[in-house]
Amino acid sequence: MLQSTSLTPVAKIQGKGFNMRFVEDNPNGIRSAEIVVGIPSLNEADLISFPTQQADRGLTKYYPEKSAVIVNVDNHSPDDTHRSFMSTATETPKIYISTEEGVTGKGNNLRNLFQKALELEAKAVLVIDADLQSIAPMWIRNLAEPLFDEYDFVAPLYIRHKYDVTVTNSIAYPLTRALYGRRVRQPIGGDVAFSGRVARSFVDCDIWNEAIAHFGIDVWMTTNAVRKHGSIIQSFMGRPKVHKLRDIDSQVGMLFEDVVGTMFELMVNFDSFWKDVRWSRPTAVFGFGLGDMEVPPPVNVNTHQLWEKFVTGARQKWELYSAVLETEDLNKLEEVMDIPAMGFEFPSGLWAKLIYDFAIAYRQASIDRGELIRSMIPLHYGKTLSFVIETEAMNNQQVEEFIEDQCLQFEKTKPYLLERWG
Amino acid sequence: MHKILIVDDEEGIRMLYSMELQDEGYDVITLPDGNGLLEVIEKENPDCVIMDIKMKEFSGLDLLQQVRKRHYNLPVILNSAYSSFKVDLKSVAADYYVVKSSDLTELKEKLRLALESRIP
Repeated sequence: MLQSTSLTPVAKIQGKGFNMRFVEDNPNGIRSAEIVVGIPSLNEADLISFPTQQADRGLTKYYPEKSAVIVNVDNHSPDDTHRSFMSTATETPKIYISTEEGVTGKGNNLRNLFQKALELEAKAVLVIDADLQSIAPMWIRNLAEPLFDEYDFVAPLYIRHKYDVTVTNSIAYPLTRALYGRRVRQPIGGDVAFSGRVARSFVDCDIWNEAIAHFGIDVWMTTNAVRKHGSIIQSFMGRPKVHKLRDIDSQVGMLFEDVVGTMFELMVNFDSFWKDVRWSRPTAVFGFGLGDMEVPPPVNVNTHQLWEKFVTGARQKWELYSAVLETEDLNKLEEVMDIPAMGFEFPSGLWAKLIYDFAIAYRQASIDRGELIRSMIPLHYGKTLSFVIETEAMNNQQVEEFIEDQCLQFEKTKPYLLERWG
Repeated sequence: MHKILIVDDEEGIRMLYSMELQDEGYDVITLPDGNGLLEVIEKENPDCVIMDIKMKEFSGLDLLQQVRKRHYNLPVILNSAYSSFKVDLKSVAADYYVVKSSDLTELKEKLRLALESRIP
């Protein structure tokens, strides 16, 4: 259980619309730090020590001259993540911060981190996931170094299994790229870094909802950084991302609603920006040639189950689809639903149009937005099945080229979105 | 009229691309390798660079990093006979990577996208 006796209740009401209380354990009384490494968590007592140790090693190895602190931003975890984190032996001082009991969400944790980073007057803020099993000290250097050069936001670039986080490949990457014109390959990567200036802009951003307060926070950060700050770079981590293994189903359950809901919410708020964007431009890369090309662990996939979930789910949601989709798209979707699991294919052009149709419906808000986004999940299963079948025999590079073609479909279909968006 | 800089150590490629792109209405200048590339960019101010990767003592991938440092917004298309360089993360900094072919349809298409790209 959380040892509330060691925690100091703190009220922070400084950012726009930011009125969240949290508690803090700061045994070293740290009041300033040039580098802040934040580790958001919820029930990660078993895993948090490893990334904490690696962050400490990275900080002491690469930045011995700079003041630093490791901050665990937690959701009052009942498994006592607090004790596990604070008892990890490190040279770098540590601070534990928690939301109030009952308040969960990665976004809520990171918002506490943004606020703390401002208080500490941090020059560089790094975020690493608490369940990371492949992090090495070099990750700290690769995330922080561009911030001491000329960059304001660092997104991760790592080798992932082709079926890890399917939401990235099918929606998050192609849609952010087509909308905002910057090719950030891992817009929901989780391991990012940003300057104090960007931390301030995050605190000041008043676009906030429940999806962003949970797993929408990663794409919220990337999109805000892309929209407001040109100096973005991708940093090659040198090793694949290895974290808690999840099958496709649990990934979708965890992420889909928050990520897509956040992207649509930002589309509504930032349309004056993305309507002027045409095609896309590359984003610079830091740290190539580091480490070996390791093979990421496999992700379980059951193609028959994906097909069943697609067809059954889509039939259940047909009435809603009829209200949201253009007649032509609805007819094409019906064709796709008639294709058997073996040889199944979901055309990328149709997929892009469907995503745009749903974004338009989200903006119109004539259907409950939560229900609208949940109704997309069967379609995502269909698109994932198509991706699995089409890329089955492909190596990583071939998969990247396949995804590149899909991204171009989103970009080429953007005039359709612009016409319907108005 | 858009000005295109072609950097390729094969004279035949430079000639073919020059003719084809001039027919499309582009103003074309060429370089046989990376010697003086940055100076030519500064002097000629091209709208896009089409660059080979394997050029004797020059690597188009390394030249690309130099171009990005000084002319971040200049579109660069990597154009190689080899697709294998796509695995090199340095190639990510290019706007597009087109494998050489006698049919220039894809190259022309990617050139058009690169020239039309716009971010506010």
